[in-house]
Amino acid sequence: MRVIDLHTHPIFLRAGRRRADVDRLVAESRARGVVRMVVLGDVLVHGRTPDAGQIARINDETARVVRMHPDFFLGFCYLNPLLGARAVEREVERCVAGYDFRGLKLELANNALHPSMTPVMRLAARLSLPVLQHTWRTRPGPERRQQSDPEDTVALARRFPGVQVIMAHLTACGYRGVLEAKGVDNLVIDTSAAFPEAEILEYAVAQLGAERVVYGSDLPIREPAVTLGRVLGSRLTAAERRLILHDNAQRLLRLSPPC
Amino acid sequence: MLIDTSAYIGAWPFGHLPARSAAELGRHLRSHGIARALVSHLGAVFAPDPMPANRTLFAETRRRPALVPVPILNPALAVWSEHLDECCRLAPALRAVRIAPGYHDFQLDSLRVSALCAALQERRVRLIVNVRFVDLRLDYFALKIQSAGESALHDFLRAHPRLQPLLSGLTLAELRTLQRLGGRFVADIPFVEWLYSIESLVAQGAQTRLMFGSQTPFFVTQANIAKLESALIPASARHAIGWRNAARFFSLPGA
Ligand SMILES: [Zn+2]
Repeated sequence: MRVIDLHTHPIFLRAGRRRADVDRLVAESRARGVVRMVVLGDVLVHGRTPDAGQIARINDETARVVRMHPDFFLGFCYLNPLLGARAVEREVERCVAGYDFRGLKLELANNALHPSMTPVMRLAARLSLPVLQHTWRTRPGPERRQQSDPEDTVALARRFPGVQVIMAHLTACGYRGVLEAKGVDNLVIDTSAAFPEAEILEYAVAQLGAERVVYGSDLPIREPAVTLGRVLGSRLTAAERRLILHDNAQRLLRLSPPC
Repeated sequence: MLIDTSAYIGAWPFGHLPARSAAELGRHLRSHGIARALVSHLGAVFAPDPMPANRTLFAETRRRPALVPVPILNPALAVWSEHLDECCRLAPALRAVRIAPGYHDFQLDSLRVSALCAALQERRVRLIVNVRFVDLRLDYFALKIQSAGESALHDFLRAHPRLQPLLSGLTLAELRTLQRLGGRFVADIPFVEWLYSIESLVAQGAQTRLMFGSQTPFFVTQANIAKLESALIPASARHAIGWRNAARFFSLPGA
């Protein structure tokens, strides 16, 4: 079994920074079948709306982790779109050219439909970078200004059909989120976060197809044994499992198949 | 070998969870290597009277020694002690009773809860307090259910120092807080999650108070089995959490 974990925070609220912590994580993940791991950054260490310096330090820290095991980790560039088009462009170019980051990570600075997302998505299209958007079912109200409901993230993907969008957190998107995603082929849902609720993964596969679901753990908030166990313990075929755990992410990240 | 302290039959009205009979649950758990389970009927959670669901539970588990029936009582009802009497009649070797604050209309510091605790201690029946059944952040949007908070649980433990309930559904943070505050309780593991959670709890000496629970049918059964199996802990701690603590705590025969 080969696994690509598309959603991790090896350093979270500054914990996990030591070389020994990272080495242990890599060794145990490999033993579990994980062959590549996407590092999204310590995204909440400076709150929801970090400034440009804080963003750069978070991305530098991601690069430091990637450098420890470059054949295992892939970095995503964490952004605060509210800092404006020029700041976003500068950071993305710095991280893609300097660190070989493979995607963009958006958290809780703004809703996915905020105007500041337009330059982010144009940049993603130009550089062919997938965009991973934190998503959680959210009722209309003040929280929705920062947190994206599945309806918002799916609308973003519809507005930019040339960008591959990863809608995070299947369980938190819920059945309604799965149904929102129907027919939006440039959007996949990751299995990260929340407890291992039964049946929703099978439902997502039945509604969207196994090609539209990717595995993510959201470690350290979640235990990788649990997040993997929920996929392995679901009523899916071996072929569906392989797509979710590995092949979809391999395609999305444009990784060459193993020789 | 595993003893599951949190498994349920019956239907849950939200989500598309399997609504299993006792026979179906028994087969399902056996296929996952779970030898024994404490089982409650979810029909007792939302019904105005929990006893019809409890009677179904006793009837369905009667010839299934692998499934230990745990009725859910509602201490908000004036007739709770008659319900307890009936449960003891239907299951002469009753091991435990569940209560569900947040779902039933009572507070943990109410007089009726105190009377229930005294009655259970007298009969040597264990109390399980369900702190939550599901992740309440993701519950059906129109529900306003709140879990029993850490301070209410701590006050409850202090008010009943000899009771030692099983607190079911604690998160890792809640478990750590209650451990720090002191008080006699045991806890199950389905909602305990963080990288290396079981390992860190065992390192702090919590292996005597933890018990395996799968939270079937809410959670994928395999997920919490994998949590326990993958934890880097001594075999003795794995056995303690996996079955030995529960066998001793609930005096399960033949375990
Ligand atoms: Zn995350």
